[in-house]
Amino acid sequence: MKREMVLNVNGEEHDVEITPDRLLLEALREDVGLTGTKEGCSIGVCGACSVIVDGRLVSACLTLAVTCEGKKIETIEGLARDGELHPLQRSFVQYGGFQCGICTPGQIMAAKALLDHNPTPSADQVKEWMSANLCRCTGYYKILESVMAVVEGKVDEERRDEAVRQARIQSLYQSDTYKSGASD
Amino acid sequence: MKAKFEYLAPASLDEACGLLQEHQGDAKLLAGGTALVMWLRMGLLSPGFVIDLERVPGLDGIDYDPADGLRIGASVKHRDLELCPAVREHYPLLRETFYKVAQPRIRLMATVGGNLSHGDPMTDPGASFMALDAEVTLRSSRGERTLSVEDFFVDYYETALEPDEILTSVRVPPPAGPAWSHVKFTPRSEEDFATVGVAVTMTGEGNRCDDVRIALNSVGPSIFRAHAAEDVLRGRELTPARLEEAGAAAAEASDPIEDVRGSSDYKRELAAVFVRRAVEQAAARLG
Ligand SMILES: Cc1cc2nc3c(=O)[nH]c(=O)nc-3n(C[C@H](O)[C@H](O)[C@H](O)COP(=O)(O)OP(=O)(O)OC[C@H]3O[C@@H](n4cnc5c(N)ncnc54)[C@H](O)[C@@H]3O)c2cc1C
Ligand code: FES
Ligand code: FES
Repeated sequence: MKREMVLNVNGEEHDVEITPDRLLLEALREDVGLTGTKEGCSIGVCGACSVIVDGRLVSACLTLAVTCEGKKIETIEGLARDGELHPLQRSFVQYGGFQCGICTPGQIMAAKALLDHNPTPSADQVKEWMSANLCRCTGYYKILESVMAVVEGKVDEERRDEAVRQARIQSLYQSDTYKSGASD
Repeated sequence: MKAKFEYLAPASLDEACGLLQEHQGDAKLLAGGTALVMWLRMGLLSPGFVIDLERVPGLDGIDYDPADGLRIGASVKHRDLELCPAVREHYPLLRETFYKVAQPRIRLMATVGGNLSHGDPMTDPGASFMALDAEVTLRSSRGERTLSVEDFFVDYYETALEPDEILTSVRVPPPAGPAWSHVKFTPRSEEDFATVGVAVTMTGEGNRCDDVRIALNSVGPSIFRAHAAEDVLRGRELTPARLEEAGAAAAEASDPIEDVRGSSDYKRELAAVFVRRAVEQAAARLG
């Protein structure tokens, strides 16, 4: 039996009609239409589907959407404000915290959940926490560096030759998909 | 998860017990969901009703009292237990064990009650609770009963829970002494399930063991206590030969299945090695 319910995602209320077996991951991507949250393993291992529910990091692939009624759900789409990227997003861009990008929404939501609770974790605490998010591309070091740059207030510092930086960002983001803000 | 179920969210323990009794055999309790949702998803379970425990009051909270010990509500998350100051101070074995479960995200979701009730022989906390002589309290509309964690684990994914019962809390006696150890061997990756897990508590002095409890996970159809290994050590000097003997006795009691983590012979040998090492580590903490 489908039931109507409201999901509060990134401060906005979304009416959805779902069966109780609907995963939060499916509800977000298919019913709400926010495809930033990714599906990797579907069994809680990889962290690609990491979102924050009532302040707690969860795997959306192991969460039933019905259990989220009345709760605050945060996803990657809620991070940028007024066209300005969240410091974690800027940091991942500036410090090369991603390559293919499939794991990145999960990485950033995981890092956000940590920093929301503890804005000044040690590098070891970040490593331990982020161990729950797998990445097949970066070798992890740059993810650590990106998160630590936020912790240490080093985002937006001119750490590389500006021209090189611009070229890199352009080559990463010149597709139209990115400009329209949609991705999947 | 194509078989559809109805989702129920009771607001009291009595209501939850009532629903479970009403739909006996056709209902599953939902705690953190880290095991249940996956099982529903894979079609291993297809209940008509899923009863969410999240809104049931009284199942949360960790209370410590020097005389009574520790009481852990079934809905307490792994992460909250691991970070609880009283647990860190008085039950370092529990802290260590829960810290080693999966990774932080799963520990934020998974509950203590869900972990034990799942009856998965690969899970870690059961062995440590056994080594600490913990008890579980089970509640149904028929009443309440208490049994040792040792008796709670019955077989492969089978516990002593009747279909109408809810595990409400775990009680751990006051800490008997400082000597304990926990070994989780995870050769594939740090956050994997254990290839073998061993929990030990011990009392004694110097190199003499007065009493000892040894429990193992991942090397049998159920989490179990290695009584024969304990008997080798209890009231004796911990000589290298006795440690070998205890390891061999634990291996004898194990019955591991072959899987991606190794053959059953390999795991049986590991059980001997890691019981010996775990006992050594506990003994090093004797006063
Ligand atoms: C990626 C991953 C890695 C993991 N690694 C480890 C590991 O290293 N070590 C380890 O020990 N475990 C590990 N686990 C298993 C994990 O510990 C269990 O999935 C978890 O503890 C189950 O708790 P839950 O609250 O999510 O229970 P649920 O999934 O909600 O429930 C599990 C079962 O218990 C029943 N149940 C739940 N609560 C109660 C109750 N109060 N009374 C009666 N029955 C109840 C449910 O009906 C269901 O059958 C891992 C799991 C995942 C997904
Ligand atoms: S898709 Fe959810 S953890 Fe991998
Ligand atoms: S950037 Fe490709 S998997 Fe992480």
